Amino acid sequence: MRPAYVAAVFVKEWRDLLSNRLLLGAVAFPALVFAAIPTGLVAFIQVNNLDPHQLGQIHQYIANFPGIDPKVAAQAFIVTNFMAYFLLIPAMVPMAIATQSVVGEKVARSLEPQLATPLEVPELLAGKTIAAALPAVIATWGVFALYGYVNGAIADPRLTRFVFSDVWLVAMATLVPLICLFSVLLGIVVSSRVTDARTAQQIGGFVVIPIIGVAVAQFFGGHATFSMQQVILGDLLVAGLIGVAVIVGAWAFDRESILTRLA
Amino acid sequence: MIIVEGLRKEFRRVLAVHDMTFTVGDGEIFGLLGPNGAGKTTTVRMLAGLITPTAGSATVNGHALGEDSQRIRGITGILTESPGLHEKLTARQNLAYYGRLYALRGAELRRAVDRYLAVVEMSEHADQRVATFSKGMRQKVAIARALLHEPEVIYLDEPTSGLDPSAAKTVRDFVAGLRSLGRSIVVCTHNLDEAERLCDRIGIMRGTLLRVDTPAALRRHGRAATVRVELNGARGPESFLDRLADLPFVTGAQALDGALVVELADPAHETPDLVATLVGAGARITGVHEDAPTLEEVYLQLVGEVGERDLNLLPAREEQP
Repeated sequence: MRPAYVAAVFVKEWRDLLSNRLLLGAVAFPALVFAAIPTGLVAFIQVNNLDPHQLGQIHQYIANFPGIDPKVAAQAFIVTNFMAYFLLIPAMVPMAIATQSVVGEKVARSLEPQLATPLEVPELLAGKTIAAALPAVIATWGVFALYGYVNGAIADPRLTRFVFSDVWLVAMATLVPLICLFSVLLGIVVSSRVTDARTAQQIGGFVVIPIIGVAVAQFFGGHATFSMQQVILGDLLVAGLIGVAVIVGAWAFDRESILTRLA
Repeated sequence: MIIVEGLRKEFRRVLAVHDMTFTVGDGEIFGLLGPNGAGKTTTVRMLAGLITPTAGSATVNGHALGEDSQRIRGITGILTESPGLHEKLTARQNLAYYGRLYALRGAELRRAVDRYLAVVEMSEHADQRVATFSKGMRQKVAIARALLHEPEVIYLDEPTSGLDPSAAKTVRDFVAGLRSLGRSIVVCTHNLDEAERLCDRIGIMRGTLLRVDTPAALRRHGRAATVRVELNGARGPESFLDRLADLPFVTGAQALDGALVVELADPAHETPDLVATLVGAGARITGVHEDAPTLEEVYLQLVGEVGERDLNLLPAREEQP
């Protein structure tokens, strides 16, 4: 694989993405929404100085944060429990970009001229993958940092430490890029077989279901956050899925079948 | 130089092309003429290293197809059936992207982009997004893209499609100019007039090559060329028929509507002798016209010959859905 060719594809994709304001909005919006809801709740508790016993079932879970003020414990529970949703951003956003990229090129018939150059298919896919994954990784990391500091600032500095725990720093550094990569590869595999971006996104959207399941189970189970073992297990699982997706992708994105299946 | 021997391509159970054998020399423009689904695009895709032949072999400037496809793609310029540009990028950004894929860098890349934008008369639109372009403007940018890296072998699929007559002439003149630079050029077209004006040789195909020859030779296919000699004078055309019967190169002659219609094997060489003989016999000639079949007539005849017979072997349309 030649870096100059991957870089050329990446720059082209990035220019294309920057000119698509709707898609750029789709990158930033979900991340901000996921961060805004718990931050709003934390601010509400802080401003109104609420007693945790007034917050429904949440008071049951403040035992997960022993030795701190019950109000801060309730805020910490809210802050840490919503963090699983940060894993939805790398699952959803890159897929939207990747499917739009591949299906868009199929519809515009711009794949053939590219494949007619010395560019190899793995170089094309690598450039597209990095270009699709990078915005989601940057958005997730950026909103994650903002989330930690803003909640610490409006409520209690200890909330920042709960957000930037070792487990979540490892999850951000490993699980987020891996989920992004898997999401992009899945988007590419699905896109290579369909000619409509919405269909591709609907099929590929199944990837978010397990993550939503984990987040919901975590919330109702009252566990404050993942353990390091769970993050590492998640890394291994997603890495395995990436391996499968690479094999399927190499088969699905074969130069000849892409050209002869163009819409 | 392109050398093709017995090239064949099947898509699952559909036979797209078979028994394709031809050569395209350096500095030659070779036209591939055929109806939709004839296999022109498939042939070009195989020769451009985009898809793998099922059987047969070909070399492109000494590089064997299938063994060195990346190098073949590097020396090949291709104008695809559809311009296939990146809509959100400007014309300059489109060309710069492809220039990088063809290993052009820095000042060399900038010079090539500027040069070919000027060649296709798109310099003043260089920094506009392709999405705002007309069909003809897109075609011009796509042509610039195909030529940007000074390819040794060029495939042009309907090069003047969507262009106004003036732009079409510019493109034709430019392609003709590439001939003098020694490039091997294959033009796929439905435009018989364009093929006749541009191509040194034409291959008429439908699943396979039905006939390959120069445009002039193709026009003579299937029937002798005739020369119509208009006369003016006291003697009628019938009076010269006996004299014409003595000429060895005349294969037939008749008087028709006050003129002589003479069949010749090679009008280009034999017409002067015919005229000299008639003038020597006292004919007063007012005009001489070659009456050869048009390329369109030859094309329709050849394509029609295989039509019904081979339809079960051939795809109903171009292989892409």
